[in-house]
Amino acid sequence: MAVTKLSAPDPAEKWEVQLRKGSLELAILAALWDGRLYGLEILRHLETHSELVVVEGTVYPLLNRLRGLGLVESEWVESGSGHPRKYYSLTEGGRKRALDMKRVWARFAASMNDLLKPLNETKSKR
Amino acid sequence: MTLAETSARSVEIYLKSLRRELSDLLDEDANEIVEEIRTHIFDKTTGETPESVAATLAALGTPQELADRYRTPELIERARLARSPKYVLRRTMRRLGRGLLGLLLFSVAALGCSLGCWLFLLGFIKLMSPRTTGVYGVWTKHDISFNWQFGSSPNKPNELLGWWLVPIGILLGGAILLLTFRLGYWSIRRFWTPRTRQEA
Repeated sequence: MAVTKLSAPDPAEKWEVQLRKGSLELAILAALWDGRLYGLEILRHLETHSELVVVEGTVYPLLNRLRGLGLVESEWVESGSGHPRKYYSLTEGGRKRALDMKRVWARFAASMNDLLKPLNETKSKR
Repeated sequence: MTLAETSARSVEIYLKSLRRELSDLLDEDANEIVEEIRTHIFDKTTGETPESVAATLAALGTPQELADRYRTPELIERARLARSPKYVLRRTMRRLGRGLLGLLLFSVAALGCSLGCWLFLLGFIKLMSPRTTGVYGVWTKHDISFNWQFGSSPNKPNELLGWWLVPIGILLGGAILLLTFRLGYWSIRRFWTPRTRQEA
């Protein structure tokens, strides 16, 4: 009897997805640092300024969750296109959280870069 | 049907389905989510580089997947608390002093609660003490009167409902209580839900 083996997801790809997913919250808080944006503007900002491949169906629920946590606030604003848009901006708590996360991120990235140095040397030797 | 009509129809079907999937959340939360997604679809499919409706909806995921991502324990708990009679009563009491509408709704709610409770209890008491509980009516040429009572006096011959008082009292009382709470919940959403809108 022939057995069809289902192809398991590539572990490296899976790891990358998890990494991007974990950094999305910080990326959104950073996108809102300079002022209020609506959902699609946040998505475009992330696409332009980062390598994050953002799934649209993930960003809106995450924004809703951040609002529930008091990190962002929202307001409906009438736009020139004829329909209102929901704008998000950082609260004081959100700004503090973004700075805390940035500090942790910088420390973690520095330690990881340090750890990865031998890999760079191996590459240059080849 | 034109392509534009087909697209508009598929958006409406998607949004209706999303609203249905979010039915366990508070109406105000679910409606706001649907409106935001509607705006997103509109912005993506119009503007300088419009995308197709099919691609936009596919990027959002199925309505069920999208609703599942929204459904956090906090939102579900918020909906559960907001639908409880205790919450409705507390909000109604808080709004009592704010205008004629608040007073009117509170009067209706108080009347509904009293009548509902009374009928409900009367049905139960009739069940436990059938000989001394009932609704009585008197018809004469010049007078029609009703009264209901329970106590020590035995049934009078002009009792109207008899054993029917049990199901009628319990069902009618329950229905009045339910309607009163629905009215309270509806009025809180309709008249006292804050909504901030600004001009850009």
